[in-house]
Amino acid sequence: MRYLSEHRKGLSMLAIVTIGFYAFYFISPIKASSMLESSWRFAIPLVLAAMVGVIGERSGVVNIGIEGQMLTSAFAGFFGAAFTGSLVIGVIAGVLTGILMGAFLAWTTVKWQLDQIIAGVVLNIVAAGVTSFYYKQGNTLPALMPKFKVPILSDIPLIGPVFFNRGIFALAALVLVFVVQYMLFSTRWGLRTRAIGEYPNAADTAGVDVIKMRLINVTLAGGLAGMAGAYLSMEAAGTFERGFTAGRGFLALAILIFGAWYPNRVMAAALFFGFASATAAQLQIDKVVEIPQQFINMLPFVMTLIVLSVAAGRVRPPAAAGTPFVKGSA
Amino acid sequence: MIAKRLLALAAVSALALTACSSETAAPTDADCAKAEVLCVGLVTDLGKVDDKSFNQSAWEGAQAAAEEAGGISKYVETTDTKDYAANIKQFTDKSYDVIVTVGFLMAEATVEAAKAYPDTKFIGVDQFQAETVDNLTGLIFPEDQAGYAAGYLAGLMTTTNKLGQVLGLQIPPVEKFAKGFEAGALAANPAVTVATVYHPAADNAFTDPEWGAAQAATQLAQGIDVIFGAGGKTGNGALGEIAKAEGAGTSVFCIGVDTDQWGTVPEAQPCLITSAMKLITAGTKDLILAAKDGSIAGGNFVGKTGLADYHDFASVISEDIQSKVAEIVAGLADGSIATGVVLG
Amino acid sequence: MIDTEDAVATAELTPLRRLWEFIVRYQAVVVPLVALGLAFSIGALLIQLQGVNPSFAYQSLFRSALMTSDGLQRTLEKATPLILTGLAVSIALRVGLFNIGAQGQLIFGALGAAWVGYQWASLPAIFLIPAALAAGTLFGAMWASISGLLKAYRGVHEVISTIMLNSIAVGIIDWLVSYPLKEEGQILQRTPEIAEQAKLPMFSFVPAGFIVSVALALALAWLLNRTTLGFRFNTVGKNKHAARYAGIKLPGAIVGAMLFSGGLAGLGGAIETLGVVHRYENGFNAGLGFDGITIALLARGNPIATIPAALLVGVLRAGAASLQFDTGIQPEVVDLLLAITLLLVSIPLLAGVLFRDRAAKSEALTSGWGS
Repeated sequence: MRYLSEHRKGLSMLAIVTIGFYAFYFISPIKASSMLESSWRFAIPLVLAAMVGVIGERSGVVNIGIEGQMLTSAFAGFFGAAFTGSLVIGVIAGVLTGILMGAFLAWTTVKWQLDQIIAGVVLNIVAAGVTSFYYKQGNTLPALMPKFKVPILSDIPLIGPVFFNRGIFALAALVLVFVVQYMLFSTRWGLRTRAIGEYPNAADTAGVDVIKMRLINVTLAGGLAGMAGAYLSMEAAGTFERGFTAGRGFLALAILIFGAWYPNRVMAAALFFGFASATAAQLQIDKVVEIPQQFINMLPFVMTLIVLSVAAGRVRPPAAAGTPFVKGSA
Repeated sequence: MIAKRLLALAAVSALALTACSSETAAPTDADCAKAEVLCVGLVTDLGKVDDKSFNQSAWEGAQAAAEEAGGISKYVETTDTKDYAANIKQFTDKSYDVIVTVGFLMAEATVEAAKAYPDTKFIGVDQFQAETVDNLTGLIFPEDQAGYAAGYLAGLMTTTNKLGQVLGLQIPPVEKFAKGFEAGALAANPAVTVATVYHPAADNAFTDPEWGAAQAATQLAQGIDVIFGAGGKTGNGALGEIAKAEGAGTSVFCIGVDTDQWGTVPEAQPCLITSAMKLITAGTKDLILAAKDGSIAGGNFVGKTGLADYHDFASVISEDIQSKVAEIVAGLADGSIATGVVLG
Repeated sequence: MIDTEDAVATAELTPLRRLWEFIVRYQAVVVPLVALGLAFSIGALLIQLQGVNPSFAYQSLFRSALMTSDGLQRTLEKATPLILTGLAVSIALRVGLFNIGAQGQLIFGALGAAWVGYQWASLPAIFLIPAALAAGTLFGAMWASISGLLKAYRGVHEVISTIMLNSIAVGIIDWLVSYPLKEEGQILQRTPEIAEQAKLPMFSFVPAGFIVSVALALALAWLLNRTTLGFRFNTVGKNKHAARYAGIKLPGAIVGAMLFSGGLAGLGGAIETLGVVHRYENGFNAGLGFDGITIALLARGNPIATIPAALLVGVLRAGAASLQFDTGIQPEVVDLLLAITLLLVSIPLLAGVLFRDRAAKSEALTSGWGS
């Protein structure tokens, strides 16, 4: 009961959107499911990537290197699988590369107090350079990534096939949203993580090892970026090209702020953006309006700005995000 | 202590200096000033020579021509559109005989270079020449014709009467392919509708395969059964997605662009019935060889376009359709069929 | 017999010691130079791994970028917009704003200058050039002010609004040059060429735009360090509560800083149009705004330091093609060099290793997302 009243606003919005979508489904089942499918497909890498930022910034470390983390992971996953002929190795390589990139960010910024923005920029430039340098054309994945059908849930009309009949990374994204949400706000790890991101000095006094905790959180969060990258190259597009993340890591930064540093809101924001993109594509397919595609394609960006300025603008980042922690400096 | 620290500092600087000081001989660049050696230089448009697209095609043509003439070929990859002139100059400085510049963005820089170096032959791929410069040949392609033939085939192949196009940036060559495709499809089958989706304008519009793949998935879900992927790697993403779809090669098909993508995008083979080609490789090679024997003329040279081989689908596509498409291709070539595509 | 403390000190000031003191005092310059040396050494290793003699590669790079008047001109031309976008990002950082939108502001400025440049072709240069530059500055400032206003009055985070506005700017401009502003009889998406007298002059190999941007960097340094406006910006950036307490109106400071920032980026675009491209054409301003972020970080937000930072990037980019022509190394290598330099220049570790306890404390450059 208390949960319901605390989340009144969010839950009622969820209810309205769900009812609306099912009404749409009732009128035009094919269009509704393909648009929902397209929205979630667009959102999956954004959700994973934005959660890298959620964990990082909740711990006090800003990460604008998500794009680079994703790009190297996409590269490692694809070529790992292509060269060894094993999807499993590709998946492992992708996620591990993400973790490695996370470790780079963690050590340079937390341990050696490099400016966090600079660390991210360096990561992005190096990632673009290295993946371009070592790119080889003519490789393909040894096989398609398998899809998994979640029993019962995947039989729900409309949302079943869209959310519950997918590859491992997409399913993981869905599960992780709720896991990270729960962990951040209902576990001791979460309490400590939020503490080191808001009041690191107080947390330190209370006996939390701020440095160690930041190192671990930022490094492991890199694994999520690894999943986002490997999702793109292995599960979604099934290929790798230079510059292939195409700015999704930066878009994830926007989604992260749009979602106000909460995993569940991040998912809502990513779905909103994905739905706006799906609408833009649908308008071009149906040719219902005769306006230049440039304006139609602007829709997601304009909608986001409108929603932010009307309703969801004022948000507050974790207070210590961006500042290195030095023990003893109040 | 201080001495040690100074020493460390000096060592670091020395390390940096030694890296730049030791003298070496210049590389063995073939002597291009000599008349008997054919030197072919190529400047890419933004992008690299292994881009699976026009840069790669042009480079393969340049290499083939140089090999046949026993000359050498070399490329410079452009990373900034403002470097076109400087990159061309790399080759004129070394007295290269033929310089190929790739992409319509480089048209102006190429004209200026051609005027400044009248003894060098220039070939501008995708560059329409409004006025003739004697030593500059624009290799242009009627992309609309290739699109038309592909659209005609698509119009005959569809069973749902719904076709789709997944496109990169809305720029002239892409738009010509797309409009040609639509015109051809309607000519073959007036009942079809063609869904046309362009990538949002951005620097990455041609390198976003996942966007292309997602668009293809959406179109397939809405009953579109033949999709034309035209837009660099973005379009290739669409082809790859269709190849993974249920019914790929039996009820849903894809059509590639620029080169025969059976080879360049192997993952698309399950659905790839053909590609709307502009034969940049052949055109570039022929023009370079013409430049060598002096038969090249300034102005515009219209390269060949057409449909790629059906490969494995030769047995899937009915003979009736194949002969109709062949008629159209022939008609386009001899000018008896016009696509009616005009870019404003 | 020397036994006063003064004398001991004098006696110990050997030339070596004096040199050391000198280096410690100027470590703000020494550290970046050492970092640069280290970065190029690492780069040499990378080049060696490609089977190319590094000294030959570096010679080719620097010869083409610095030793010819052609190359020098291109180096300066490349550095010019980077100085301005670097300043744009720097000034926003001073107020604690992270302006990722310099790219959108720059292309609006480039378009505005082009439009004035061909529309008012009958004006003499003395009016036309200032008008075009002013238009570019204004366009950039207006576009940035959207983010500023949204931030100041609706609390919309500038990172998200500038990312969105970049994409919107690209879309709007693509439409403008595809339809209403398109050169007639031309299938390419571009505006007509600007009037002959609108093109910026060259002084030998030095483009006029470069002089303007250097002057602006100096002016901005003065503005930020010596004027009350600069003081206000700095105060807001360091401590919002203190600023409010001191009677500084935060919304005004935020909108003002974004106007400044966008104006600089827009001017960068305008100079690019009048000095180099001579029209607006899609694809000819790619990446300049984003490079501004790198420049600002490399310069640690210091306006004067943006000049050498932009020059370094200019040299690397201008020499990249020769590097590939002479050695076959892919041009991406210069970006790797740049990234390594940025890392080494910025990491406090290097100064720590060199100077131990005498290393200068580096001030925080960015405050992450601000608030």
